[in-house]
Order: sequence, then C-alpha cells, then structure tokens
Amino acid sequence: MTLPTYKEMWQQADEVWTRTARPARTLIKVGVATCSRVVGAEETLETLRREVQARRLDADVMLTGCLGLCYAEPLVEVIRPNVPGILYQLMTADKVASLLETAVAADGNAREHALAVMGDKEFGGLPALGSLEFMRGQVRRLMANCGVTDPESIDHYLARGGYEGLVGALRLKPVEVIDEVKKSGLWGRGGAAFSTGLKWEFLYNAKRKPKYLICNADEGDPGSFVNRNLMESDPQLLVEGMIIGGYATEADKGCIYIRDEYPLPVERMELAVAQARERGLVGEGILGSDFSFELEVVRGAGSYVCGDETGLLSSLEDRRGMPKIKPPFPAQAGVFAMPSNINNVESYTNVPLIMRHGADWWAEMGSEKHKGTKMFSLSGQIQRVGILEVPLGTPTSDVVMRMGGGPPKGRKLKAVQPGGPLSGVIPASDVDIPLEPDPYRERGVLMGSGGLVILDDTNCIVDLCVYFEWFAEDESCGRCTTCFAGTRRMLEILRRISSGRGRLADLELIKLLGSIAQNANCFHGQGAPTAVMSMFRFFEGELLEHVERKRCPAKVCRGLVRYEVLHHSDRLPAAEAICPTNAVVRDNGTYRIDQLKCIKCDACREQAPYAIAVVDEFAPA
Amino acid sequence: MFSQASHNSRVTPVDPVAGSPELLVRISELIEDLSADHVDLLKAFHRIQHEFGYLPHEAVPLLAGKFRTTPAIIFGTIDFYSEVRTAPAAETTVEWCSGPACLLKGSLNIRRALEAILECEMNRTSSNGNFGLRLVQCDGTCHLAPLVRQDGRYIGPLTVSESIEWARRLKGEDGAVQTEGEGAPAEEESSQTAQKVESE
Repeated sequence: MTLPTYKEMWQQADEVWTRTARPARTLIKVGVATCSRVVGAEETLETLRREVQARRLDADVMLTGCLGLCYAEPLVEVIRPNVPGILYQLMTADKVASLLETAVAADGNAREHALAVMGDKEFGGLPALGSLEFMRGQVRRLMANCGVTDPESIDHYLARGGYEGLVGALRLKPVEVIDEVKKSGLWGRGGAAFSTGLKWEFLYNAKRKPKYLICNADEGDPGSFVNRNLMESDPQLLVEGMIIGGYATEADKGCIYIRDEYPLPVERMELAVAQARERGLVGEGILGSDFSFELEVVRGAGSYVCGDETGLLSSLEDRRGMPKIKPPFPAQAGVFAMPSNINNVESYTNVPLIMRHGADWWAEMGSEKHKGTKMFSLSGQIQRVGILEVPLGTPTSDVVMRMGGGPPKGRKLKAVQPGGPLSGVIPASDVDIPLEPDPYRERGVLMGSGGLVILDDTNCIVDLCVYFEWFAEDESCGRCTTCFAGTRRMLEILRRISSGRGRLADLELIKLLGSIAQNANCFHGQGAPTAVMSMFRFFEGELLEHVERKRCPAKVCRGLVRYEVLHHSDRLPAAEAICPTNAVVRDNGTYRIDQLKCIKCDACREQAPYAIAVVDEFAPA
Repeated sequence: MFSQASHNSRVTPVDPVAGSPELLVRISELIEDLSADHVDLLKAFHRIQHEFGYLPHEAVPLLAGKFRTTPAIIFGTIDFYSEVRTAPAAETTVEWCSGPACLLKGSLNIRRALEAILECEMNRTSSNGNFGLRLVQCDGTCHLAPLVRQDGRYIGPLTVSESIEWARRLKGEDGAVQTEGEGAPAEEESSQTAQKVESE
C-alpha cells in the first residue's frame, strides 16, 4: 500500500483549503444548491463575480453548498482577513451592489441583511450562527462541510479530513470494517432502521461475483429533502462512504441512483465521482491497494416506488421499477440476480465518520438505544423551513417548535407527519416524544426518512389523508391488487367523505381496507393506509364531524363549504375582478356568489376578507 | 443501419421501423454507445428526451433492438416513469407542485384557479395548444410553498390572487384591476373543470 500518495494529496489539498479558510484577502462565499438556486443564488453569484471585477475589488468569489437555512436563502458569507465570516441573508442579485459597498468596499458590515457571524462567538454586535434558534441544539457531523466547503472541489473535502476514513478502512480487513460499523450501532436511515453492519455482512458472505453496492438516493418522499442537501453540498462524503462500503463487502461495482427531480445533485455527484476517479480513489487499485471499485451515477425517471429497495433493483435492470417479491433478498439475488446491497444516502455518509473517528466517538451522540445523529427537513406550516441535523432522541417539539419556530404566528400546531406519505401523523399532544423510531412505532407511525411536515389548525386531516391516498394510488406499481385497487377504493371513500356524502359504514370499510393492505408485497402497499389509521387513532372526532355532521372544522374540504358574501365592503369590486370564473355577481349594487360557477378557489376571500366568508355548506340554519 | 431495430421474438421477422429517416438516424446516434447490460435504458430515455423534448414513439423499436428486448417491454417501462413524456410539451408548460407543504398552504386553490384560467386540465394541454399544466412531485423547495414552475423558473410563495394575476399575464390578459367580464373563460367549461379537479 502506498499511503504517501494520500499524504501528498492531502498536503496539496490543504494548501488550497487554507486559502479559503484563512484568506489573505476578502472572500465572498455564495451558497448555491437547489433551495437557493430557485430564489436566484446563481444570479447572485454571477453578479458578484461581475461586480467584483468591474469595481476592481480586492476579493475572491467562491461557490459553496447549503447551510440548511432554506428560509434565509440566498445566503452570502463575507470573510475579511482575520475577521470571522459574516452571513448575509436573502441576498438576491439586486442587493449585491449595496452589499459590496457596505460590507466589502467600506470597512463596515451591511447590517441590514446580516444574519449572523460564522462560528460560536458573537462579533460586532451580530449573533453567532450557533446561537440562532435554528442552529442551537444541532450537532453537525454529516453536515459539517455543508455551506462551508466548495462542493465542486475534492481538495476542500480532502483537507477537512476527507478520505481519512477510507485510508483507515484500507488498513483493516473487510470484516473488521464491518465489525466497526456494527459496533457503532448505525442503522439504515431510509426508514426501515435495519442494522447497516448486518446488511453489509450479508453481502460480504455472499459468494457469487460480481457484487453490487447500491445507494438509494431516490428520495421520493414529498416534503423530505435531506439527501438532496448532502449530495449537492458535500458529494464526496457519499463517494467515500460508498468506497468504504465496497471495500467492506468486497463489492465490485457501486451505483448511486438519484431521482429525476434532482438535477443538481446528479450534476454534482457525477463531478465528484469523476474527481475521485482522477485521484485514484475510484477505479483500479484504490490508493495503491489491490482493491478495485467502480462507481456510477444513475438518474431515475420519476417513480416513487423505485425508492423501495427491490423496486430500485428492477429499475436498474432496465425494466418497470416494480418491487420484487422477497425472498430472495438482495444480498442473495439482487440486481441482475447478483448479490447486492442497498442503503440510503445518510447510511453511507455516516460510515466515513465512523471510520475516521471510531465507532465510540460516533456513538457518543444519540439516545440510549439509537446512536448517532440524523438529518431532518422541516416544511409545511412552519416559520423556518430548512434542514437540520440533531442527535437521535431529541424531542420532536424541540426541533419543530423551537428550531423551526412552530406554525406561523397566531396559529396552533395540529400534527406532525414525520417522514413521507406512508409514515402517518402524530397529533400535537404527542409532539414531545423523542425523535427516534420506537416512540413513533408505539403510536403506529413510522419515523421514516426524516421529512417533517407540519400541520396547523387551518389544515384538515381528512384533506391530508385524501392527498396521501391519492399519492399512494398514483404511485402504486400495479402488482398487488391489495395495493393498486385497495388504495383506489380507499381514495374513493375518503373523497366521498370529504365531499359530504360519507356514511358511518365507510369507517368500517376503511378499517377493513387498512388491514387488507398488510398483504401487499412491498412497503408501499403495506404503508399506504398508515396515515388514515393514525387519523382514526388521533383525529376520530374530526373524521366523525365530516361523516355525521357533514362539517369540516378547518373549512378546507371543498364539498363541505361554500363561499358567501356576508357583509358589504369596498373590496368587493376587487373580489369580483379577481374571480377566475365570474362567480362574484353584482345585482343592483349588492354582491352575491353564484354557487354554480364558484370553483372555491378562495381568491375572492383573499381580496375581500371582511365581506366574504367560508361557511359550512350543510350548516344548521 | 437499423439492423438492431428488431425485437427479440426470434421468430417473427422485424416490422419495418416507422418514422422519418432523419429522426431514426438521430435516435440511433444518441443511443449508439449504450448497451443492454449496463443500466443504460434510463440514460437512453434522458438523452432522447433532452434532444426532442419528449420521447418519440419511433424510438421504441430502436430501443428494443438496442436493449435486446421487445417493444412491449420498452413501452411498459416508458409508461411506468412519470418524467418520461411521450408527446411534445405545450408552448408554455406550467408545472404545479403536488407536495404536502404546498398542499397545506393551499395549492389546491391555486390549481383550481389555474385550470380555470388556462382552460386546461391537469396533465393536459389546452385546446389551442398554447398551455400545458403538469403535475410535478415535490423537490424540496418547500420554502417557496405553494409554488408553480414555468419552464424551470420557480414562482412562489403564491397567494391565489397572485397566481390568478400571474396566469392572466401569462395568457396575455390584463392582470391588473379588471372591468366586468374580462379575463374569464367560458363558464360551462370552467365549472366542468372544477368538478374534475380532485379526480385527476
């Protein structure tokens, strides 16, 4: 083994990184990832580059990943020599000029847009990033490089300890690597929570060749975007994790399957793999050892069930991505009937950290039973949408109410959906439970992959269940009748309830469908009724209100509400103008709503909130 | 040139491959270096779709030959993936996010309004072919919820009124304060659309 190659590589990388970490002149970092790109970070980056050149400023402009503060994007960090970096929020291209004038050209801070100072100490009256409510309590291990390094530079990754874990692993026997992963207690982060070490052992024990190691980056759960952030902000971490996995399981080929909706992660992962290959970290004889590993990025084409492990295998075999029947398990006969192993992005990315710092260090974080940290994304009715990383076992309320800021002002938390449409919901009264699989499982809910979606009191639980069932029905692969027909039947019943034609017998039917669904082959079918079952468990009152009294308490279900002009107001002409179907009608100076034309889009109430109200369709007079 | 354009039923001779020669040549070029046992079919879809904006049905026999399978299997695979389109997109495609964050913030209201104004159902093209509405899955840009995308540009967070004004501008109607009757689609049609909103 010629480890000096790694040392040389590290020294070279360190020089590059030092220029960024302790710049001799002002350095401006712009976070460009999917979340910031959609609010114009690329334009900001371009404008900054152009303006810095035009003004002949003594400054460099650099690209970086995403810090996870989606609510404050686009973020720009300005690092002046010998001063901690200052983070500016909501920096669209039009604010670049004022930023350059105040923060770079003059010796001051652009207070107006400043969010925080990088690090843990406050500076110049600005709070430290670590002291922001959103960041306090987070432990950033996986995300250590996110928003700090340049995701398109392997040097930055190397200099910050990257590939140290691989070097450490190559010194051990594959079995020893597996033992270390087992010792850490790492379990699959994709939702099933199965021990990663054990899974690797299955593949290691498989005799036939070639063996495949597959990364499931088909993060299809709507409302979760943690893997996306890792892949676009620190792609090398996943590459290293895959290589270590390949070494430990003696796999020959690796494959990263990324969903089609993630073009930027595809781009960055492909670049990362190419860079790693250039440095001899992927390919023949990795780092001078006799271990060879090929790695490839595959882009999906828009299918939720391809996120199921055997569905993904089918998709890789150039067929419809229908989940297979188990057994045989992937470790025996996976892709092309060869031994395969499938893990989530987060599972792989934890491994370099375990190999770099040791299983004991890794297991320091987390609760009694569940070790390590886990990334979560916050979305829905929450003040701070973003991505965060907390130790497992952190109370859900801490993440949702404090870090996320809870629902918008004046509203009350209603429920939290912990991870994907098949995971179910927990009510607000249970929001104190720790974020780990067991307490959720006790409530019939799955913790899933970590996309927390927050509901408040303006949301209707029946409406949400209609959505979940629609999603399950829409994405069903069509193999099992219990799934494709069961979800369709369930959807019909739920729509009936939400349109006001629900009957008590429906409730029994739903329960029956829920238990039948357990006979589906894959988790898609089995998990489809989870949300509906948690509605029965926690929100039965609200459901019965829909069925018995034909009333939607949140006034969301379309069949149960109508719009009425209740008062007179000066805003009514605006309401008339905005209506897309001319349903706001003026008769002799008074307004009314033509119920036949009204499509209940809520635009008129937005325009004239005092005059127009949503009333119960079947309200007792 | 199209010797590969066969399906492997091994008994039946190959049907002549339909389509204009230029199209077939271009498709063959695109999939030239791909192979059957190398996880390449999705790559082929992406390349062809990138070139033409959709996957022409003429490509199916060529793909079947290349990937040593039957056109039926290829068609089944195309049909399975929602991001593989088999018809050219409308001039302007409005993509409506179906994700839960958007839903909770009222995206269904926006959907109804868009369908009424653009006179177009979800996943369909309007009768004059100018507008297409497409349902897309959540890609985690939930800080913009509820959002729509137009040709890759993200627009959000939107109120219903804003989305209506935006759609009217898109359609070339005056989005500002309107006088009576202006800017509304035919009435029967839009109320029909409304009935179908949730059945899509």
